[in-house]
Amino acid sequence: MLQALFLKEWIKVRKVWFLILALNLAALLYLYLGMRHQFHNEHSEMIWYWSFELRRILYGDVKYLAVLSGGAIAAAQFLPEMVNNRFRLSFHLPVRADIQVWSWVGIGAALGAVIAFIIAIGLFCIVTLWFPFEAGVSAVLTAAPWLLAGWVAYFSVALVMLEPQPVKRVAYALLGCAFLGLLYNERGYQEYDQILPVLIAAAMLFPASVIYPAYRYRHRS
Amino acid sequence: MVSQNTGKAQQVKSCCCSHEAAISVKGLTHRYGKRTIYENLNFSVPKGRVVALLGKNGVGKTTLIKILMGFLKPVGGRCEVLGEQSHLLSAATRARIGLLFEGHLAYEFMTISQIEKFYAPFYPKWRREIFYDLVDRLGLPHSHVIGNMSCGQRSQVVLGLIFAQDPELMILDDYSMGLDPGYRHLFLDFLRDFLAEGNKTVFVTSHVIQDMEKLVDDVIFLQRGGELIQMPLSCFSSNFRCFEIKNVAGVQFQKDNVIRNVDLVGQSPKLFSFGDREQVRAHMAHLYPNVAIGEQIDMSLEDAFIGLTGKY
Repeated sequence: MLQALFLKEWIKVRKVWFLILALNLAALLYLYLGMRHQFHNEHSEMIWYWSFELRRILYGDVKYLAVLSGGAIAAAQFLPEMVNNRFRLSFHLPVRADIQVWSWVGIGAALGAVIAFIIAIGLFCIVTLWFPFEAGVSAVLTAAPWLLAGWVAYFSVALVMLEPQPVKRVAYALLGCAFLGLLYNERGYQEYDQILPVLIAAAMLFPASVIYPAYRYRHRS
Repeated sequence: MVSQNTGKAQQVKSCCCSHEAAISVKGLTHRYGKRTIYENLNFSVPKGRVVALLGKNGVGKTTLIKILMGFLKPVGGRCEVLGEQSHLLSAATRARIGLLFEGHLAYEFMTISQIEKFYAPFYPKWRREIFYDLVDRLGLPHSHVIGNMSCGQRSQVVLGLIFAQDPELMILDDYSMGLDPGYRHLFLDFLRDFLAEGNKTVFVTSHVIQDMEKLVDDVIFLQRGGELIQMPLSCFSSNFRCFEIKNVAGVQFQKDNVIRNVDLVGQSPKLFSFGDREQVRAHMAHLYPNVAIGEQIDMSLEDAFIGLTGKY
């Protein structure tokens, strides 16, 4: 049964996921070409000065990749179910609603995690082509809140689409936007190192929260 | 069994044996805001019977099905489906219920073969051959996407899925919506074959009343405000009568236990009643002495349905 549930999610999301993958790879290629261009046209000392004295982030091109990817995956998964209230089809299946909902978000989050992993690895590899290993690690730590934003965007969009009550939808959207706002406040690299574990812990509450809109959907009064 | 549920008052006249109930509704009350849909609604769908829920648009047929399948929590009352409370249906019980949603709802992003593969693992009694028997009549490749089908074609796929589940109880919400006569008849043929296997219960809503004449055992008429009449179709067909009436100018008719409805729209006014000619004549002589009762008029089920529920 789980295999069937995963199959349905994969059928819905695969085209969008491959498109997202292509966009992410294209963005990483663009980042690589941009960085190579800078090293061809500028002195290395100048780039070092920008990066480590002025704290300018050279890989800002990947900043919004994860958040867009997370939102798009959730929309691809849940929009077809929202249309004509097709969630009812799923909730009539002879399988527990909580198992279903967690399998939906499980596969969506896993597909988002693959994208986030590709962004992180790609960023690390590109940065370490010209900078030392430590700068590669620093780039990944700097991008970590942006990657976490992908997770937050995925679950926020999922909550908004699963929720049957309009007021609660607005509340979830506001909560998601506020959380995302917290993740994009940096003015330099590695500024979230201290607070990131707390933000990750807070973001980990999202998977549990999807059960409540699903329950309200199943048992509307 | 003739059961009449008029709000809080309820009268039951027995005229056939009772069965174990597949669906049991007791004291059901539901409201949307301040609008009352039902107040103290009571009926049951006996196991092994085909029961049609008939009513005009907006009386709450789809709402009732949503309640029965646990998608809506009623304000009051108790609904049981296959022995479980409708809002607490277990997965095992849902596997015994084939549910057709209004509009032949389906996963339109799937192909024919994908949707069969998706549904099959959930149902222990899955009958793949029935699904493809119905769907292959469309002459479409199994890679055809459901979203690219016409409404009639999609209905075949959806009905194929429901038949393949081999459910004990089928709940069909307006199966005829969007179907041309050919597809409707094909569906009815399949349904009859399915019912011939025995031990199947069907609870169906439809606006195509003439289809019900050859299909259903019992009818439930649901009217605005939750008034409900339930009886075997044969009982309804033989006991519900239509009479011509004359000299009706200026008369203000009131519905009561004998006068179920009066149709003054059209050239020949009609009166509808569960009473026989003599009962109606005596009742009219008492209340409306100037009104003359004419001939009894033969009715189709559709005429009788409109006679009972009114044209508007």
